[in-house]
Amino acid sequence: MNIKPIVELQNLTKVIGNKKIIDDLSLSLYPGQITGFLGPNGAGKTTTIRMMVGLMKRTSGEILIDGRPLSENFEEGLSKVGVIVENPEMYKFLSGYKNLLHFARMQKNISKERINEVVRQVGLEQRIHEKVSTYSLGMRQRLGLAQALLHRPKFLILDEPTNGLDPAGIREFRQHLRAIAETEGVSVFVSSHMLSEIELMCDRIAVIQNGRLVDIRDMSETAQPHYYFELSPAEKAHYLLLSGGFAPELLPVGLVLQVEKVQIPSIIKLLTANEIEVFAVQPHRKTLEDQFLEMTGGGQIAESYTK
Amino acid sequence: MLNLIQNEWMKLWSKKGTWIMTILLIAAVIGVMGITKWVNNQNTTLPSDWKSNAQEQMNYINETTQSDLPEMERKQNEETLKILEYRLANDIPPLAVDGRESLIINPVGVGSLVVLLTVIVAAGIVASEFSQGTIKMLLTRPVSRWKIMTSKYITVLLFGVFLMFIGFAVTILSAYILFPSGVGQELKWDGNAIVPVSVWGHGLYMLVLSFANVIITATFAFMIGSVFRSNGMAIGLSLFIFFTGNTIVLLLSQYEIVKYLVFTHMNLTMYETNSVFVDGITMPFSLVILAAYLVFFLVISYTVFTKRDITA
Repeated sequence: MNIKPIVELQNLTKVIGNKKIIDDLSLSLYPGQITGFLGPNGAGKTTTIRMMVGLMKRTSGEILIDGRPLSENFEEGLSKVGVIVENPEMYKFLSGYKNLLHFARMQKNISKERINEVVRQVGLEQRIHEKVSTYSLGMRQRLGLAQALLHRPKFLILDEPTNGLDPAGIREFRQHLRAIAETEGVSVFVSSHMLSEIELMCDRIAVIQNGRLVDIRDMSETAQPHYYFELSPAEKAHYLLLSGGFAPELLPVGLVLQVEKVQIPSIIKLLTANEIEVFAVQPHRKTLEDQFLEMTGGGQIAESYTK
Repeated sequence: MLNLIQNEWMKLWSKKGTWIMTILLIAAVIGVMGITKWVNNQNTTLPSDWKSNAQEQMNYINETTQSDLPEMERKQNEETLKILEYRLANDIPPLAVDGRESLIINPVGVGSLVVLLTVIVAAGIVASEFSQGTIKMLLTRPVSRWKIMTSKYITVLLFGVFLMFIGFAVTILSAYILFPSGVGQELKWDGNAIVPVSVWGHGLYMLVLSFANVIITATFAFMIGSVFRSNGMAIGLSLFIFFTGNTIVLLLSQYEIVKYLVFTHMNLTMYETNSVFVDGITMPFSLVILAAYLVFFLVISYTVFTKRDITA
């Protein structure tokens, strides 16, 4: 890819005690792209994110933001990053507006107008001057997004961003992220357990397990055509298709086949000629969940490193 | 940096507790003044003549064998004698006990109240960011950790100064409302001659001296709060030290080491009220020791805070 990455992780390693939490992780994140960050519990997602935002120190390796190492240019680097780490814990005894004012003062040159603009963007105008302690979880998430967007970051890191949002809220959130990624060229890095969310939101997914990057793939690659055949007897069909040079996957009441659409009539003919009853044929989408489990080998929790 | 201090100040005053503490301070000062007034009213015995009092005190000092006393006390007695002689010769009475001036000249009660309240703020200002979980929001901004720490420390000191100011103002105000102006003049020996002491100036000086105690105790609380991230522990330990300090000094007063303990020097007003327990310490020595402890507390706070991995 010719575009310069906004964030680069180079051989990032974190050792706590004598256990490697993150092992030689390298990853590049590009402008305008939403990258999902997946992994089973304890794989090191949160540790990676915390190192990227300065909450934890790396043991070795480097984090480059806009081409410059974060360890040498902490303030400059982080001024390009918007962060929501897990639940955005805001100051409950302050109003939403004062929370934003607080975080705005920690950035350079953020006007009152910009604060109001962001408040409108996340749809909190009505309640912004009330104390955060009166907010619902969804409203706190919105406020969390607002503080992350205040300084127009080039790079947005979100850890479990849709936690506690209602379905309409999640949808809105997703569209919002898409919009800022596309129109402002922001690179977004989202970690989430909600695989269906990631699937709908992301252009690319990075999968981590036991502190190692297992796989990076573009979501478009995963869209190879699969079809589901509901038929009986399935075993016979399975055998028949195997010998016909296909690679069917046997399910309890049918099978899944990776074929082009044009091949389907001839397959049906072959099946019926062999006295197999075909009830239905429909496109089958292999979900991200299936792929995820496939990549991480069942998604078992990594060995615990705390004693 | 100004922005950061502004932030801390805003957070501080958005908490109900801060307002309650300020009101408590005002109420306590007024309360103490009220009680003093009440006690004065109950005392119906006629005020004795100051001249005969002074004469009695002089006689007492002259009768004690001065050579038996430790050097420090002997010097004090000499000074007292000089002042008393001067009073009698020039007919200058001491400050009347029921006059407002004698309350303004020595507002030490304010100092210890301010210590208590400032410790609470110092203990919580870092620890509460951890307990609320807001620390990860605070530290993911483009601001170095040492700057955040400095803004918090300065805020604690500002709060202490502010409380001192409020305490002194309320003292003066209620002294003027509750007490009549008294006759008399405070005097002191400045090494060469007897000089009059300004009531306001001396009152302010006493406050500045007791502020040393505020700084050192608050810095200790600040350190414990940022190292252990526990508000309660910081308040508890600091107040324990604040209250048991004198006892520890008394227990160890035989040994040389007592000179290097922080407790011995926390109360600088002892040099003004002639209540120095330990031999061989002077104001400059105390200031050096206090500064050394202060630097030590701050180095620990900053090192731990800037190095720590935030996992909460």
